Amino acid sequence: MKMTWRQTVLIVSLLLMSTAAVAAPQVYKLGVDGLACPFCAYGVEKKLKAVKGVEKVDVDIKTGNVIVTVVEGAVFDQATAKKAVTEAGFTLRGFEKIPQGTSK
Amino acid sequence: MTTTHGAAKVTITSLAGLLLGAACPAWPAPITFNTALPVHEGGWVLREQFVLSKNADDPDPAADRNMRASGLVSVLGYGVSRDFALFGVLPYLDKRLDVNVAGERVTRSDEGVGDLTVIGRYTAYTSDAPGRTFRIAPFLGVKAPTGPDDARDDLGRLPPTVQLGAGSWDFLGGVVATHQTLDFQVDAQLAYRANREANGFRFGDVGGLDVSLQYRLWPQRLGSGIPAFLYGVLEANLVHARKNRLGGIRDPNSGGTTLFLSPGLQYVTRKWILEAGVQIPVVQDLNGTALKNDHIFNAGFRINL
Repeated sequence: MKMTWRQTVLIVSLLLMSTAAVAAPQVYKLGVDGLACPFCAYGVEKKLKAVKGVEKVDVDIKTGNVIVTVVEGAVFDQATAKKAVTEAGFTLRGFEKIPQGTSK
Repeated sequence: MTTTHGAAKVTITSLAGLLLGAACPAWPAPITFNTALPVHEGGWVLREQFVLSKNADDPDPAADRNMRASGLVSVLGYGVSRDFALFGVLPYLDKRLDVNVAGERVTRSDEGVGDLTVIGRYTAYTSDAPGRTFRIAPFLGVKAPTGPDDARDDLGRLPPTVQLGAGSWDFLGGVVATHQTLDFQVDAQLAYRANREANGFRFGDVGGLDVSLQYRLWPQRLGSGIPAFLYGVLEANLVHARKNRLGGIRDPNSGGTTLFLSPGLQYVTRKWILEAGVQIPVVQDLNGTALKNDHIFNAGFRINL
């Protein structure tokens, strides 16, 4: 049986979508107290990036929010976040998982 | 010898700038003294600071002393834990004293690595809130006699003020408090350095009270992310030095009190800081013919490693 080009495109698209779903990163928003200058942000970034599975850290010093992007399957919980933030010299105020597509 | 003793005061003032000032860790912090802001655990910070101290206002016209001390001060900080940080301070110094001796103008000078100072700082109190922090951190330090203290020239042994090292184990301690917000930062420090005797000479102990205001000039409105900051800096340093002792006898032409006002600028990014400032002595109440300070210039950078 021959596949039509439409069937081929559909199958490839489904495969790509399923791959994207498996590798979908998880996004967390941390509230960090004590952050008040650019130089301070470096320590928080460095400590969070050292956590296994963390692939991106975005700090917004105006709000004190830190967006952490973690690869699918990695363990990143509040205790892990608190440890990293504390070792950086600051205080974890909040921790929440953000539904995909609403990280900003 | 009056000339030598008077010049000793110069070096005390210079060292106050070089050592107490160089004790700053590599955080956005005062230019001339310490801060209570943290060094992250396991993190390294580096500060390189050029310091130039000029002292040519001599109350003794016959001696007409002119002392110039410059130094490249390296500070390496390490965060042992969230609250405890260690700092090593090593200056490379160039000291030069021009003075009239027996009707002849002579220059006494030396250049090289000075004494190593190691400081431990513990953050005893922290209060964090969104966009602000308040911290109090006492610190203790020791200055080891790693620099040469027996240098000589054609005229003989250099006076203690021109030696690169003091030859003694000296101790310093104090407490620093920092209040930092997104718009400004205020630091205040109380510090004391107890100097000990070496080669029959003892520099007078030095006490200092410092305050600093760093105000964000740019950007006027904060955007998202991590924008770079330009701080305008205004600091005040009150330094009191006790009289030096030579052979156990106090030198009446040494020691005294100086108040510096120190304007400056800092450009702060997440990775590095550029800064410059000048300490201007607005009040100098020195003993006898102790040589007065003209100014102390500071410039340098700090890097998050």
